[in-house]
Amino acid sequence: MVALRSVDLAVAPGEIHGLVGANGAGKSTLVKVLSGVTRPDAGVVEVDGQARRFRSPAHARAAGLAPVFQDPAFAPDLTVAENLRLTGTVPAAFRRRLAQLELDGVELGEQAGALPLPLLRMLDLARVLAHDPALLLLDEITAALPADYADRVFVVIRQARDEGRSVLFISHRLLEVQEICDRVTVLRDGRNVDTLVSADAKEQRIVAAMLGERAALAVTEPRQVAHASQAVAGEPALEVRGLSDGHRVKDVSLTLARGEVLAITGLEGQGQDELFDILAGDRPAASGEVVAGGRRLAARHPHEAIRHGLTLVPSDRWQALLPQRSVRENLAIANYNAPGRWGWINADRERRQVAEAIARLSIDTRAQAQAKRLSGGNQQKVAIGRWLVGGFSTLLCFDPTRGIDVGTKHQIYDLFRELAAAGKSVLMFTSELREVPLACDRVLVLYGGRIVAELPAAEADEATLLSSAHGLADALTEAG
Amino acid sequence: MTAQAAIRPLGPTRRLARRHAWTAAVVAFFAVLLAWSASQTRNFGAFELQTLLASTLPLAYLAMAQSVVVIGGGIDLSVGSMMVLVNCLSARLMEGTDLGGSLLVAAGCLALAAALGALTGLVITVSKVPDIIVTLATSFVWGGVALFILPTPGGGTSEGFSALVLGSGSAWWPALLCLLAPLLLVWAPLRRSRAGIAIYALGSSRDAAYLSGVDPLRTKVVAYAVAGLLAGLAGLATTAFTVGGSPQSTIAMNATLNSVAAIVLGGVALSGGVGGLIGPVFAVWCLYLIPNIMLGLGVDPSYGEVVKGVVVVLVVLAGGLLRARRNRAP
Repeated sequence: MVALRSVDLAVAPGEIHGLVGANGAGKSTLVKVLSGVTRPDAGVVEVDGQARRFRSPAHARAAGLAPVFQDPAFAPDLTVAENLRLTGTVPAAFRRRLAQLELDGVELGEQAGALPLPLLRMLDLARVLAHDPALLLLDEITAALPADYADRVFVVIRQARDEGRSVLFISHRLLEVQEICDRVTVLRDGRNVDTLVSADAKEQRIVAAMLGERAALAVTEPRQVAHASQAVAGEPALEVRGLSDGHRVKDVSLTLARGEVLAITGLEGQGQDELFDILAGDRPAASGEVVAGGRRLAARHPHEAIRHGLTLVPSDRWQALLPQRSVRENLAIANYNAPGRWGWINADRERRQVAEAIARLSIDTRAQAQAKRLSGGNQQKVAIGRWLVGGFSTLLCFDPTRGIDVGTKHQIYDLFRELAAAGKSVLMFTSELREVPLACDRVLVLYGGRIVAELPAAEADEATLLSSAHGLADALTEAG
Repeated sequence: MTAQAAIRPLGPTRRLARRHAWTAAVVAFFAVLLAWSASQTRNFGAFELQTLLASTLPLAYLAMAQSVVVIGGGIDLSVGSMMVLVNCLSARLMEGTDLGGSLLVAAGCLALAAALGALTGLVITVSKVPDIIVTLATSFVWGGVALFILPTPGGGTSEGFSALVLGSGSAWWPALLCLLAPLLLVWAPLRRSRAGIAIYALGSSRDAAYLSGVDPLRTKVVAYAVAGLLAGLAGLATTAFTVGGSPQSTIAMNATLNSVAAIVLGGVALSGGVGGLIGPVFAVWCLYLIPNIMLGLGVDPSYGEVVKGVVVVLVVLAGGLLRARRNRAP
């Protein structure tokens, strides 16, 4: 996997430098390289004009580069004080930084795992600052942080800048990037494409730089799929009303008609994983209801959701497949929920159904003895094909085309259209905005756990989607 | 959820109680069993105490060895074999020596055991093969070498050495001192040092530990070296107790499995990062007393093993349920 191709980035002393980019642009990988977690294949990192090659996070920190990741680097079974011992942090300096963050009531004897995640991330920031780093690396520190915490983070970042430190600030929230950063670098496909001075960078310009040629591509790529969007008036296959999980998913309502392909899109961590898990019966909902095929469903287990015709193809193919088993077994496994009389499995019927699915999805069966030896695209076809064999009424697909080649992608889009034409419905999450008009009838945009925009696929160009996915209000009104 | 509500801390006493609740429960359980056992004997006294401490000394050391490794996120299936290896080696070399000679042999054996442990930790970290596989393999190696050194039960030790380790007559405190020695001289300083915290951190969250600057290789080597040292002590204690060595692999297997049972009962989480060394030692004593009490009640001793197993399952089940409830309502 190549996540970073070539990045040139210079952060000046006393500068808050923003780093933005779409999902998978390589932001997090860059932070990992700079903080010594991952080693680069080529290129140099210079600190104060000296070339450095970091062996470990401790080594990078000693050179003055200190990261705060989304998952705080605290061992959960140790106390906060013991965690400070690990990093060699002076408690007095830590206390002083905590005071700056207005967190005075923190007990250092408390077990780290017993503290809430947002607080722990603040403690991580305080700990990093206590070492007086030359460059502070903040990877999405404000994601899922309460607003009052985020404000204090901004105050402290500005103070750090005034002390002459540099800050590399990564965020999906363009508004806050514009507000606090001096300059912004845009990453795309592992390359830096533009560095802008925040003061005169308009959101649209940042969004345009994030999209780049991909926007042009989306226009030139032929629309292979004939839409059946007029046939959408069918009765609802899936209705979701006011669904919340009390944490990431907030009051989500949507209706999916029979014969419709509905896309949901959004940045990472906007509640999509939780939403799909709830629908698939893998996570309980705190409130709201799910109605599948006219029947109210409160699935406590995926087994119940599957019985109601709601089947999930997860984003991680290794989670869906039995990697050591054959293609046939992988395709037929959903059938074993309802074997024939007296628990017998009808081998003839199974062979016929599997053969049909293989033909329909044109799965390459040369390596069929073990699913793990198939290519990524064929694995994805098997994961979807399982439900063609096992039967479903609504297919939930999480990022079904992640990491597979263009030809296979189009086969999957065609399959979704065929399924829709046959009266089934498909709800897919996609992080690849370009595929929305190719496969879907309608698209919903998820931001901060809520659905913030709804567009017919024909009007859903990438710039509009990306703006609303970043929670930009003016883009929403434009679209509406 | 507001930020202020989120950071309301527990009181220090409650926090202390929560951290050491499991150990306290095991100690209480031991106290009940001890009282029960004492009530079965006409005049319970120093002799019974000496028997308890002396006969459980090897397994207590082994439980401590296993705890150190499991806290660091591993598991060591070779502690029993290491005990047998050191037992055979020391029994062969100590035969016919005086106290000074025996002590010299003991020191050499401990150094060897710690070095072999360190080597195990090195192999695990460098090869990235899971702990359970590497230590299973080394358990065969140590067991084979033990047979090579002492093909049949035999060997011996000096009288002075046995008395020094286990006490003579009904003096119960030498065995207790021997048990406390590594706790006070090795574990207590380690637990307070950065290296010891690193062991807990590595077992608690490998990623967080690495990001905090913990060197996984050094930490693993330290954990396994300490475990090797403690398993070596178990071997020496066996030599002192049996005045000789026996190379049977069943002894090694039994000892390893009992060490796992003891740490689970003693509050060390198999997932790593949680527990201490005191709880497992009390657990060893509990596991020793259960069959004895059964015997005192006139029940077939075979049932003792059944009851032991049932107790381990029930205690772990109860602990798991309590933890789950606490996590649901924090």
